[in-house]
Amino acid sequence: MFRKVLIANRGEIALRINRACQELGVATVAIFSEADRDSLHVRQADEAFCVGPGPAGRSYLNIPNIISTALITRCDAIHPGYGFLAENARFAEICSDHGLTFIGPKPSVIALMGDKATAKRVVSEAGVATTPGSDVLASPEEAQSVARSIGYPVLLKATAGGGGRGMRVVRDAAEMQRAYAGATAEAEASFKDGRLYIEKLIVAPRHIEVQVLGDDFGNLVHLGERDCSVQKPSHQKVIEETPAPNLPARARTALHDMALRASRYVGYTNAGTLEFLVAGDEVYFMEMNTRIQVEHPVTEMVYNIDLVKEQIRIAAGESLGYAQRDLAARGHAIECRINAEDPQNHFAPAAGMVSKVVFPGGPGIRVDTHLYAGATIPPYYDSMVAKVVAFGDTREVAIARMERALRETLIEGVSTTVGLCLDILSTPEFRDGRYDIELLLKEPTPR
Amino acid sequence: MEHRAYIGIGSNLGRRVANVERAFAAIGELGTLLAKSSIYRSDPWGKVDQPWFANAVALLQTALSPRDLLEALQAAEQRLGRTPGERWGPRVIDLDLLLYDELDIDETSLRVPHPHLRERGFVLVPLAQIDARFAALRDALPESEARSVSPLGESDSAMPIRENDSIAERVRALARFLADGDAVRVRITRPDDDIEVALRAAEPIASRREADRAPTKTAAPRVDTIKADLVGIFHASRPAPAEGDTFEGDRELGYIEALGIRTPVHSMGGGRLVSISAIDGTAVEYGQPLFAVAR
Repeated sequence: MFRKVLIANRGEIALRINRACQELGVATVAIFSEADRDSLHVRQADEAFCVGPGPAGRSYLNIPNIISTALITRCDAIHPGYGFLAENARFAEICSDHGLTFIGPKPSVIALMGDKATAKRVVSEAGVATTPGSDVLASPEEAQSVARSIGYPVLLKATAGGGGRGMRVVRDAAEMQRAYAGATAEAEASFKDGRLYIEKLIVAPRHIEVQVLGDDFGNLVHLGERDCSVQKPSHQKVIEETPAPNLPARARTALHDMALRASRYVGYTNAGTLEFLVAGDEVYFMEMNTRIQVEHPVTEMVYNIDLVKEQIRIAAGESLGYAQRDLAARGHAIECRINAEDPQNHFAPAAGMVSKVVFPGGPGIRVDTHLYAGATIPPYYDSMVAKVVAFGDTREVAIARMERALRETLIEGVSTTVGLCLDILSTPEFRDGRYDIELLLKEPTPR
Repeated sequence: MEHRAYIGIGSNLGRRVANVERAFAAIGELGTLLAKSSIYRSDPWGKVDQPWFANAVALLQTALSPRDLLEALQAAEQRLGRTPGERWGPRVIDLDLLLYDELDIDETSLRVPHPHLRERGFVLVPLAQIDARFAALRDALPESEARSVSPLGESDSAMPIRENDSIAERVRALARFLADGDAVRVRITRPDDDIEVALRAAEPIASRREADRAPTKTAAPRVDTIKADLVGIFHASRPAPAEGDTFEGDRELGYIEALGIRTPVHSMGGGRLVSISAIDGTAVEYGQPLFAVAR
């Protein structure tokens, strides 16, 4: 097992990683920007180094300062969390060049699955159905011809993209030229890579993802599926749950099988998530995230497995120690992401000082947060401040506990999406477990 | 290099208005006084069983660094007669560094902008008078806070006399009133006539001594802190720089070693090495102070 791990992240996930390390008896080093000096993970870690000013590019993405910190403090490994450098294959290589273990899959696998268009091609070689579409497009003309053959409407997506950015809906051939130019420019600006690919736009699909875990000895398991269809118009997830409600058994089995098949084909190790679009009985692979995900707690509650500890154990060379038949899902878990945003103002991020904080507790409630009374939310990073997770033997109990927990939640000083989550939970679609990604869309389809 | 600093002035002991005038003069010694607000009367903030305050704000152009300016203001407070007493209690003169250019400083004894700036009517009202950028903040004050500040005028100095007060009671009230305030002119209004008496505030002895000393206008030196801009192991150069060293022009004071690369640490110009804050051969983080250089 590692003696010391550097946590290359911030906020709630840095705290999460710190907790897993502490339980494993591993010392921790926190890195922070000047804006996060008083952050909870900085206080909890055994050592802490400032690596730059507020803006992420100069701090949490500052590879030289992060590697330098790891070497100076004699760390064995680096956990990248999610976002920032988590899916940066070059960073994973640099870690290994300096004798530091990157807690995640191999750099080649990160690079392969990180390119969305390539990932789809590779996965379909493994016999996994992918959303009809194209590889990276060479020109608007190619886009037109692909779109004609798979049928409009289509989605133009950035191959280097993620988080719902760099996407355009194209309803017919007349819109293609302009959409292509616009999407290219946006992708260039956001990801420094303007290449696009096309996907058939599946109307009102469900977004269901599967968690996998693999060790270095060829053992690979899945830990069920998560329904993440409750998304903002920008495709940012708001509520996730497991198991996916009202999913036909055939579709559920297909999801798990496809996830294992694709992961095995690319020799996947450590934790990963495969995202699918589900329309009725049809299941299509969309993309793979080669990291721990924000919504991992719901899987942890239902499988009673600490995924972050498993990541660390696997990276330290330990074998899983269990097979698929040893795993059984029990009960139902829901997570609500609480963001410091103003739902009344197009979810504009709110920064400032949180004057008062009360988080819920009681049976079946887990809260992952770095927030505390008097903490200041800096303006430089994403706006998520807490994850409230509710577990119950049945979905009804989980929903009832979540509603109670959200009503108990008090965050003063900034506006948050607590009210939005309560509203969503009260809709007939959510309560019946019959919703798709259009639940929160005000317009019929995204831009 | 010239900087702009806003300084808050307050007095609720002795001859308040005269104290504020002397404060303006003392502040002017530290550079060039660019603007003075009117003098306002305000109700005491915090402890409420205090006499009223005279408040004002000055805009000073100065070459002093924030810390040097703070020390100079504290020295001025002492010269002007403040004894370090209870917090928020009565004070002959109180000088606060409110703002310094656009800087944001949060250190143990130096916080700029002043932490209570936004909540204090007696700061915002005079400040908005000399700098319209603060008008919005002033207008956003709660009514009770805004009402507690008013321009000093004759109407503030009305001493109510009750009909049945005896002569003795009235004389006592008058004596208290005169001792309490900065009255320069007193008008006594009676049913049949008015009497106006002009008083001249005696020049306090302290300020005469001040004038005798006639301090020369020396610009206090600016001190720059050289900080690490990367994470690594700090090494001082050889021969090792020492406190008190002076140098003309830029000088390499040390380097930070990281990932096999040595990045030099420069003095960023000539000056005198005031202090060395980092230990040779130890790890430094981003933003860690390494050297202090006085220009």
